[in-house]
Amino acid sequence: MRCLAILLSLAIVGGCQPQVESNIPVEGLVYCSEGSPITFNPQLDISGTTADATSHQLYNRLIDFDPQTGKLIPSLASSWSVSRDGLTYAFQLRKHVNFHHTAYFKPTRSFDAKDVVFSINRWRDPNHPFHQVSGGRYPYFDSLGLRQIIKEVNLVNGYRVEIKLHYPDSSFLATLATDFAIILSEEYANQVMAEDKPELLDLRPIGTGPFKFYRYRKDAYIRYLRHDGYWEGNDSVPKLIYDITPRSSLRLAKLITGECDVIAYPAQTELQVIEERADLKLEERPGLNVGFWAFNTARPPFDDPRVRQALALAVDRKTLLDTVYFDTAVLARGLLPPSSWAFDETLQDTSYNPVQAKKLLQEAGIEPGFSMTIWAMPIERAYNPNATKMAELIQHYLAEVGIRASVISHEWGSFRRLLLQGQHDSVLIGWSADNGDPDNFYRPLLSCSAIASGSNRANWCSPEYDLLINQAVRNADESVRLGYYQQANQILAEQMPLLPIAHAYRFQAYRTNISGLQINPFGGISFANVAKEPN
Amino acid sequence: MLIAIGRRLNLLIITLFILCLGSYVLAFLFPGDTLTNLSGTPPLSADQSHQLQLMYALSEGWFSGFWTYLKLTLSGDWGVSLNSQTPVFDDILYLLPASLELSLYAMVISLLVGLPLGVLAGLKHRTYTDLGILSVSLAGFSFPVFWLSLLLILIFALQLGYLPMSGRISLLYDIPYHTGFILIDILQSDVAVKDAALKDALRHLVLPTLSLSIVTTALVIRLIRRSVVTVYSSDFIKAAYTKGLSHSQVFWRHGMKNALLPIMPQLAMQFTVLLTNAMIVEVIFSWPGIGEWLIQAIYQRDYPAIRGGMLAVSAIVVTFTISVDLIVRILYPLNKRQFYAQA
Amino acid sequence: MPRPSFYQEEYYPSPMRHTWTEFQNNHVALAGLWCLAFFILAAFIGPMLVPYGPLQQNTDMLLLPPAWDINGEISHLFGTDSLGRDLLSRVIHGCRITLGSSVVLVLIAMLVGCSIGAYAGMSRGLRASVINHLLDAIMAIPTLLIAIIIVAILGTGLLNSMWAITLALIPQFIHQTRDLVRREFQKEYIVAARLDGASNQRLLMRDVLPNMVEVLVVQATMALSVAILDISALGFLNLGAQSPSPELGAMLSESLDTAYAAPWSVALPGAAIFLMVLSINLVGDGLRTALKKRLLQ
Repeated sequence: MRCLAILLSLAIVGGCQPQVESNIPVEGLVYCSEGSPITFNPQLDISGTTADATSHQLYNRLIDFDPQTGKLIPSLASSWSVSRDGLTYAFQLRKHVNFHHTAYFKPTRSFDAKDVVFSINRWRDPNHPFHQVSGGRYPYFDSLGLRQIIKEVNLVNGYRVEIKLHYPDSSFLATLATDFAIILSEEYANQVMAEDKPELLDLRPIGTGPFKFYRYRKDAYIRYLRHDGYWEGNDSVPKLIYDITPRSSLRLAKLITGECDVIAYPAQTELQVIEERADLKLEERPGLNVGFWAFNTARPPFDDPRVRQALALAVDRKTLLDTVYFDTAVLARGLLPPSSWAFDETLQDTSYNPVQAKKLLQEAGIEPGFSMTIWAMPIERAYNPNATKMAELIQHYLAEVGIRASVISHEWGSFRRLLLQGQHDSVLIGWSADNGDPDNFYRPLLSCSAIASGSNRANWCSPEYDLLINQAVRNADESVRLGYYQQANQILAEQMPLLPIAHAYRFQAYRTNISGLQINPFGGISFANVAKEPN
Repeated sequence: MLIAIGRRLNLLIITLFILCLGSYVLAFLFPGDTLTNLSGTPPLSADQSHQLQLMYALSEGWFSGFWTYLKLTLSGDWGVSLNSQTPVFDDILYLLPASLELSLYAMVISLLVGLPLGVLAGLKHRTYTDLGILSVSLAGFSFPVFWLSLLLILIFALQLGYLPMSGRISLLYDIPYHTGFILIDILQSDVAVKDAALKDALRHLVLPTLSLSIVTTALVIRLIRRSVVTVYSSDFIKAAYTKGLSHSQVFWRHGMKNALLPIMPQLAMQFTVLLTNAMIVEVIFSWPGIGEWLIQAIYQRDYPAIRGGMLAVSAIVVTFTISVDLIVRILYPLNKRQFYAQA
Repeated sequence: MPRPSFYQEEYYPSPMRHTWTEFQNNHVALAGLWCLAFFILAAFIGPMLVPYGPLQQNTDMLLLPPAWDINGEISHLFGTDSLGRDLLSRVIHGCRITLGSSVVLVLIAMLVGCSIGAYAGMSRGLRASVINHLLDAIMAIPTLLIAIIIVAILGTGLLNSMWAITLALIPQFIHQTRDLVRREFQKEYIVAARLDGASNQRLLMRDVLPNMVEVLVVQATMALSVAILDISALGFLNLGAQSPSPELGAMLSESLDTAYAAPWSVALPGAAIFLMVLSINLVGDGLRTALKKRLLQ
C-alpha cells in the first residue's frame, strides 16, 4: 500500500526520470556561497563572504596578484613606479576600460584617473562627500592605519595618478592589490548623488569587472550577467549565480545532485566524499590563514598573562587538528603560516602541559571551578571549519584543569556585533590574509589601532609590539624585517594574547565539467573565464 | 442560518483582532527597544526616534497606540525587517504563495490518495484490507516529518540522483515574479525554455510534496475510515438497503455524502497541520516560503519579522478554518448539537 | 467449611479490567505496549547500562559505522558520530530526554487543562461562551505553530520549548474535559446525586472524574505522541534543545553535517523517534478501540 501511495503521488506530480542535468541550460554557472554579502562594495566590509561575492566579479584593482606565483601583476594600472625614497608611487592607467552598461547606469566615458582618485579618497578623506555614505567605516584600511600613511592622491593627467606617503611602507603595493582596494566609477557616483540616493553606489554596484550586477535577494541569490565589453576579453559563462547556502552539508549535497557547479568551503569531513566521486573535483592549496583562540585581555582575569599561558598550555592542539581539521591543516606555531617568507623556523611551540597549566592558574589565583565563556563563530571558514566542535573539545580540556567553560554562539551578524562590544571571555576565530605581506597578519590581528576597527579580537594593545611592527613595515629589506618580526614573536609567546591553532589548506570543490576556475592565494575566488561544458 | 454566518464572521473578526493585539503586545514583550521591535528601524538619532514615536503614537497612551498600530497594520505597513531592512509585509506577500503552493499540492495529493483508501478501509471494516490500510496509515502519521524528508533526500537525491533537493526551480531559470505560484508564473512567462523550466519546477516539487503529504494522507485515511464506519453502521443505511437499493446506489446517494460532509472541517484542519509541517519541510528543502523565512527570523531575533510572520500565518490558519466551517454550514445546515455529536 | 454456592457465579469485571481485557485481544496494540515499555525502561535505566557518556568523545574513533557494517566495531554498536561519541549511548540518553520531557509536559498540560476544562464545563452563560469561542479559535492552530510562536517569545532552549508545547497542548485537554464534564453532568445519576445535596466539587471528584479517566488516558497518549514529535521538531530546528544535548531531534540536526558520509547517524535517532511515536500511537489506538467496544456492550 505504501509503495502504491508513493508511486501514485509520484505519477501525479510529474514522474521520475533518472536523467538529471540533461535539460538544464548550460549557459549559467551556479556557485553555492556560504552567506550573503553585507554590501556590494568590499571597501566597506572585511569579511571574506563580501569579498568573494564582489571583488573579483564586479571590480578590478589597480594591481593584482598573479594567482600562480603570488607576484604583483598589472591590472587597471598598466605600469607603476616607486620613487627612490619610497614615498611617491606613480601609476600609469590602462585606456579603453569600460564600466558596466546596465539598466540603471549608461556610462558615457571609459575608466580614467578620476575614478582612481575618487575610489581612494572615498575611504581616505573624512570630508569626502561619499565618506559617510553606508556607515562611513572602512575596516580594512582603518585596521592598517592607511589613512595616516597616505599624504595625498594626485591626478597627474587623464591616465596617470600619483600617491604620496608620509613615510615608506613596504606593504603598500600589496595593499592596493587586495580584494578591498577596488576601483569604483566616479560618473556613477555623481549620478546617484544627483538622484539623492548615494547609498545606491554600494547596493546597486557598477564596476569594470568581468560580471555585472543583475539582481540580488538577501539570503537567497545574487545574479550576475557577463560583462561583454570587459577589457581583458571575456569567454566566461553568460550568467553567474550565487546560490546562498549557509550550511556546508547542504552545499555538498547540492554539488552531488548537480544543483551547484562550484561550492565554497567544503567541510573537512566531506573532502573524502568529494575525492571518491568521479564527477567532482577537489583542489587544494596551502592557505595564508591562521585559526586561533583569542583571549579578551580587556576583561579580568584574562588581563593576566599567566592565565592566558595556562589556558594555552591546557589544550592539546594536535587533537584539535585531528578532529576538527581532519589533517587538512598544519599546526600553527605563530601567526604566520609556513608559506610566508617571514616564517620563523626557530619559533618554539607551546606544548600541551596540563600540570604546568594548573600551577600557573594557582599562581594567578584562579580557583578551581572558575567559569568562563568560549565564543565559537557560527560559520565555517577554512581556518576553522567547525568552531563549535572545537569549542566543545576545548571545554573538555579546560574541565581537566578545573575550569568550567560554556560555549556561546550567535548568528554571524550579531556575533560580530557583540564581539566588537567585547562581551566575550575568549573566542575561536581566525584570519585569512588579504595579501602576502606578513604585516597583514601582525597589524590587523594585534595592533592597538585594530581594536577599534574590530579585527583585534584579543583587545590587546602593546606599544612595544606596535613599535616593532611599524619599524618592520618601514623597511624594505626582508632580512631586516624578519628580525623585527622575530622580536614581535617573542613578545607574543610571552604575552599569549591569543593561541594560534592551525593554518588550514584552502579547498575548492567543483564539478568536473567546469574549467578555468581560479583560486587566489590571498582571499577571493574569481570566475572570470570560467567555462562550463554540457555533460 | 444567517445567525450562524453572523456568528462565524463575528468570531473571525474577534480572533483576528486578538491576533493583532497579540502581535502588538509582543513588541513590548520582546527584548530590546519597543519602537525598534515595532518599526524595524533602529533609531539613529533623537529626531528619528521622535518621528517614530509620533508615527506609532506611543506617547499617547496604550489604547491610542494600539489603534494607530491597527490602522498601520490594516494599511499594510508592518514595519521593516531588522535583518534585511525590507518591508515585512512585502516579504510576506512575496513568500506566502510559495508556502501555499507547496501545501496545496500536498493537500490535493493527500485527498486523492487518502480518500479512496479511507473509503475502502471503511467499507471493508475489520478485514485484512482494513487492517493493512490502517496499520500503514498509523505508521504514516508516526513519521517525524523532518526525518522522512531527510530519508527521501538521502535516497532519491543523494544516492540515486533522481531528483533535486533544494529550492523551487534551478536558479539558472530566471522566471519573472507575477503570482508567486511557480507553475503559473512559468506558464505565463515568455522564457525560451518553458517546457524545460516547467519540468524542472515539477521535479523540484516531488520530494517536498511527497514528504508533506505522507503524514497528511495517513490522517485523512483515518478520518474518512472512521466516518464511513460510523455512517455504515447507522440505521438509515440499513433502511436504504432494505428499500432494495444496490451497493453503488447506497454508496453514492447516502454513504459518501453523509460520511464526507461532517468531516469537512476536520479535513480542512489538516491543511493547517500541513502548513505547519510545511515550515519544517521548507527549512529542509530550502524552499523559499514563509516558514523558512519565519524560522530564520527567529534565529536572527528579527522581532518585526517574527511578529509579522506569526500574525500572517496564524491569521491565515484561523481565517481558513473558520471559512471552511462556514462553507460546510451553508452546504449542510445541521443544527449545532447534532453537528458536535457527530464530529 | 466452605459455603456451598447456590447461584451460578457470574463474573463482572470492573470497567478498567474490562477495557484491559479488550485491549489484550488486540495483538498489534499489545506489541505496541511492549515496545513502549521497552522505551520507558530504556529511558529509566538505559543511561546506567550504556558503556559511554552521551558527551564523552573518543577522538580515535570518528564516524565509525554501526557494528553490523564491515568496518564497524562491536565496542560501538550503533557506531560513532563526528566527535567520536557513541551513538547507542546518545540515542538512549536521547530517549530519556525526549520521552521524559514529553511525559512531564503532557502531565502538566493534562492537569492544567482538566482543571480549566472542568471549571468551564460546570459554568454557564457568558463566561462559558467566551471560553468556547476562544478555544475553538486556538484549537484550529496546530500545536507546533503555537509552540514555535511561544519559543520565539521565550527564546530557544529545551526548557522553553517544553513550556511552549505544554501551553500549546492545554487547549485540547480543556476542550475534551469541558465536553465530558458537560455531558456527564446532564446524566441522571448526577442529577440524582445533586438532588441528594452533593456539591459540584464532590460530584466532580467522586462521580465524574472516575468516569473520565480512561478517555483522558487516551487523550494523553495522543498528546504524548504529538509532544514527542513537536519537541524533537523544535530540537531539529535548533529552537529547542541545543546542540551538544543528546535530545533526539537536536542529534538529528547535528548529524546533518555528516549525512552523506555517515547516513546511520541520521537514520538511528530518527528511527528511535519513529518507533517511540509509533508504539505510543498503537497503544493509544488500541485503548480507544477497547474503550469503544466496552461502551458499546
